[in-house]
Amino acid sequence: MEQTCQIEIIDATVTPPVMFAAQKPQPILKGVSVRIYEGEWITLLGRNGSGKSTLAKVVAGFRTAGVTGKMIKHIESAAKGKPIPIVMQQPEAAMIGATPWEDVVLMLEQNEMEASRIPLGAEEALRKVGMGDRMFQPIETLSGGQKQLVAIAGCLAVQSPLLVLDEVTAMLDPEAASYVLEQVRVLQQNGVTVIWITQKLEELRQGDRIVAMNDGAIAFDGQADEWFDRSSYGDQGSVCEQLGFEAPYSARVSWELERQGVKLRPFPFTAEMLAEAVKRYER
Amino acid sequence: MSADWMLNGVSVSADGADKRLLLNDVNLHFKAGQITLLLGRNGAGKSTLLETMAGIRTLQEGTIGLGDDSLWVSTGHRKKLNRDVMLRFGISMQHAESQWFASTVREELLYSLKPYRLKGEEANRRMEYALAEAGLATELLERDPWTLSGGQQRRLTLACLLACEPEWLLLDEPTAGLDADGVRRLCAVLEAHRAAGRGAVVATHDLDALLPLADAVAVVSGGTVREAAAAAAVAHAAAAPQALCALAELRAEAALPPLAPARSGGGAPWPEPREVAAVLAAELMRPGRVLGGAGAVVSGKVADAKLLTGAIVDDIANKQPYTGPSLAATELLRPDRFDPRALILVYLVLAASIFAQRTLLELSLAAIVTMMLLVPFRTLIWPWVRVIRAYAVLIAILCFIGGVTFTPLSFDWTKALPIVLRLGKLLLIMLLGMPMLKLMTPFRLQRSIEQSFGWLSRINVPIHSFALLVTLIFRFIPLLTGEWERFAKLAHARGKAVTALRTVPFSMLQSVMIPYVRSILRLAEQMADALEARGFGYTKRKPTYGFRLRFGRSDAILFIAAAFSSVLLFLIASVL
Repeated sequence: MEQTCQIEIIDATVTPPVMFAAQKPQPILKGVSVRIYEGEWITLLGRNGSGKSTLAKVVAGFRTAGVTGKMIKHIESAAKGKPIPIVMQQPEAAMIGATPWEDVVLMLEQNEMEASRIPLGAEEALRKVGMGDRMFQPIETLSGGQKQLVAIAGCLAVQSPLLVLDEVTAMLDPEAASYVLEQVRVLQQNGVTVIWITQKLEELRQGDRIVAMNDGAIAFDGQADEWFDRSSYGDQGSVCEQLGFEAPYSARVSWELERQGVKLRPFPFTAEMLAEAVKRYER
Repeated sequence: MSADWMLNGVSVSADGADKRLLLNDVNLHFKAGQITLLLGRNGAGKSTLLETMAGIRTLQEGTIGLGDDSLWVSTGHRKKLNRDVMLRFGISMQHAESQWFASTVREELLYSLKPYRLKGEEANRRMEYALAEAGLATELLERDPWTLSGGQQRRLTLACLLACEPEWLLLDEPTAGLDADGVRRLCAVLEAHRAAGRGAVVATHDLDALLPLADAVAVVSGGTVREAAAAAAVAHAAAAPQALCALAELRAEAALPPLAPARSGGGAPWPEPREVAAVLAAELMRPGRVLGGAGAVVSGKVADAKLLTGAIVDDIANKQPYTGPSLAATELLRPDRFDPRALILVYLVLAASIFAQRTLLELSLAAIVTMMLLVPFRTLIWPWVRVIRAYAVLIAILCFIGGVTFTPLSFDWTKALPIVLRLGKLLLIMLLGMPMLKLMTPFRLQRSIEQSFGWLSRINVPIHSFALLVTLIFRFIPLLTGEWERFAKLAHARGKAVTALRTVPFSMLQSVMIPYVRSILRLAEQMADALEARGFGYTKRKPTYGFRLRFGRSDAILFIAAAFSSVLLFLIASVL
C-alpha cells in the first residue's frame, strides 16, 4: 500500500554550540534520516541521552541550535508555519490555565488560531481525550494522567495531524499510564499519526513501527518481528537485547519457546498476542 | 540486630487551609530483616507515610517507634524529634537527585555524614564503601556533583544514603528513571542490606523489578494501609507485573496447564519464562491437544488476591468525577463569575469611599457596610484570618504607643484616634481586597488587561507580552513555594535536623540557598522549554482573543451594590 509521507528528514545532524571554546562540540544527532507516514504509530525507543528527544524536536520543526540537514514537511497544522506542539514528561511544567478549558484556549491563542473557532475547538479536543466532564475543574485537582490528557488535547486542538509525545507516561503511575496510552491509541485509530517516545517496551503493540535510537543515530527502524528476532544474530541476541532494553515477559517466554522448537509468528511480545498465538498454534 | 518499626494509630493531615486527613489511623509493623513494599496509586499516601516515618511530617495522632525508642519525644510542652532514632534510618525522597548542596562529591557525602560525627578515617572508609556499593568510581570524589550524568547522580543519592550505614532504608520510587543496569544494582544493594539483618520500606510502582525481592507488601489506599502477602499485589490490576498479566491471559484464552507453584520464600512470585515455555511447549507438542479456554488455576494466591481487590475497588469508587464543594454554594464564588474589570472598578469605588471617611462614627459605618458586602464572600476570607488578627493586634499596639504618655502616666485618646482611623481604613480596604484574587483566574486578569489597554500596543507598548507575563507569574509563584518546601524537607532528611518542620534550620540555610536558586532556574528553564514546545513565544502577527470578557448581569449587580453602598456612605457622612 502506498502511504503518504508526512515528514521527511534527510541527514539531520544537531551539534549544540558549546559554552567554552575548550570544549569539543558533541553532536546529539548524527546524520539521521527518517520518513514519517500518515496514520502510523511510531514507538521511538532510546535510553537517556540517546538523542530521541532531539529527534522529536527536529521532526516537530522546532528551532534547535546547531541543526543541519534537510526537512521536508507535507503537513500543516492550523497554526501555520509553526512547529507541531510536543507533549513532554512533566505535565505541570507547561500548564498555565486555571482550568483545562482555559489552558487549551490559551494555547490556541498563542498558536494564533482563528479566534472565532477557538472555544469550540478547545471543547471538542477536550472531549476527544475524554476530559469533556472536567473542562472547568480547577487544574490542581486533576491527576497527573488527566493533566497529560489536557496537554494532548491542546495538540489536537491546533489540528495537528501528528502527535509527538515525549515520555508522557514516565511520571505516571501504571494505571494512569495505561489509561493515557489507551486514549492515544484510540486517537491513532481515528487517523492521527503518533510518535510515541518511551523507554518502556511493554507499551509496544502489534503493528507499531519501532525506531530505536542509540548514541545519536537510528540503530533500528522496522517491525517488532525483526526487533525481537534472535535467529539472525547468532549469540548476540536480538537487536532489542543488543541495545540494552529489557524485553517484556511475554517476549522472553516466546524466546524460550523458540529454543524448545515452538516458533510463533507474528512474534508475540504482549500477553494478548502470546495467548492468541498459543491458541492458534498448529490450527 | 536491628529494631522493628511500630506505627500505632497514626493520623496525618494536610497542611494549609483544609485539614484533610492524608493518613487515617494507620497501624503497621515493619520487621527488621525484611523488605516491605508500599503499593498504591499516585496520591494514595505512600510518600506521606514514608515522610511521616522519617519525621518530616507532624503526627496528628498516634505514635511511631523504632524498637523501644519513640520517634517524637516531648521536652516540656513541645515535641521534638528523637536524634537517636533519626540517625538509624536513611530516607531518599522522590526526585531527590540533582539537588546537591556541596561543590564536590566528597563534600556531598560528608554533608550526609555530618550528623554522625565520625572521625576522619572512619568517614573515609564509609565513603569508599558507599561509592563501591553504589557503583561509582572513587575518582569521582573530587568532581562537581552537577557535572555527573543523570545515572551517576542517581547512584550518588544512593551512596549518600549508604554512607550513613542506616539500619533502615526508606526509599520512595527508587527505580523511577533508572535504566535496567541501575535497577539490577539497586536490587543487589537491597538484598545485601537485608542479608545484614537490616530492613527497608520501599514505595514503588515497579513490581516487575521489586516484587521478587519483597518479603511483605502494604497497600496504601485513600489514607489507610493494609498489610498483604507479597503475592497479593497481583490484584492491583494495571500495576500487575507483566508476568502475571501474561499468565492470566494464557489461562483464560489458551488453557495454560497448571504450573508448579512458585517457590516459597525469596524469588519472584511468578515462574521464570523458561518454566512457562517448557510447560507450553510440552502442551503444544502433545498430539491431539484440545484447544480453547479452560478454567483458571486456583491457588492460595488467587484467593488472597481477591481479598485485596476489594481494597482497590474501594479506591476507585472514591475517585468519582469532581463535583466540587457543593456547586450551588460556590456558584457565586466561581473564578469565572465576575469580570475582573468590574471587580477592580468596584474595589476602587469602595476604597475611595472608605478613604473619604473622617470620624470614628463614619469609620464604624463603613466597617458595617464592608462586612455586609463581604458576607457572600466570607469563605474566601477564612484563609486570611490569621493575617487579619495579626493586623488588628498591630493596630492596638500602635494605638497604645501613640496614645500613651509617661509623665504623668496617662492615655491621650486624641493622639491615638488618628492612628485608629488611618489603620482602620487600611484594614477595611485590605479586607475588601482579600477575596479578589480568588474571584478571577490569572488568564481572565490577563485578558482584562489586554482588553482595557490593548490600544497601547499601537504606540509600541508591549502590553500583550506584559499581560501574558501576569499569567505566568501567577503560575510560577506556587512552584517557587513548592520547591522551597521540598528543599526544606530534603535539608531535614539529610541533615537529621530535629528543629521545627517545614522550616530550614538556620545553620543549613547557606547550603540550601544555592541549590535552591539553581533548582529554580532549572524549573524556569523547564517551563520555558515546555511552553515553547506548546507553541508559545513564536512571533505574533496580531493578538488573537479566543474569548472576550463581557460585563454580565452579576457584574452589574456587584457594581450596583458597591455604588449604592458608597453613595450611602457619602450621604450619611454629609448629614452627620
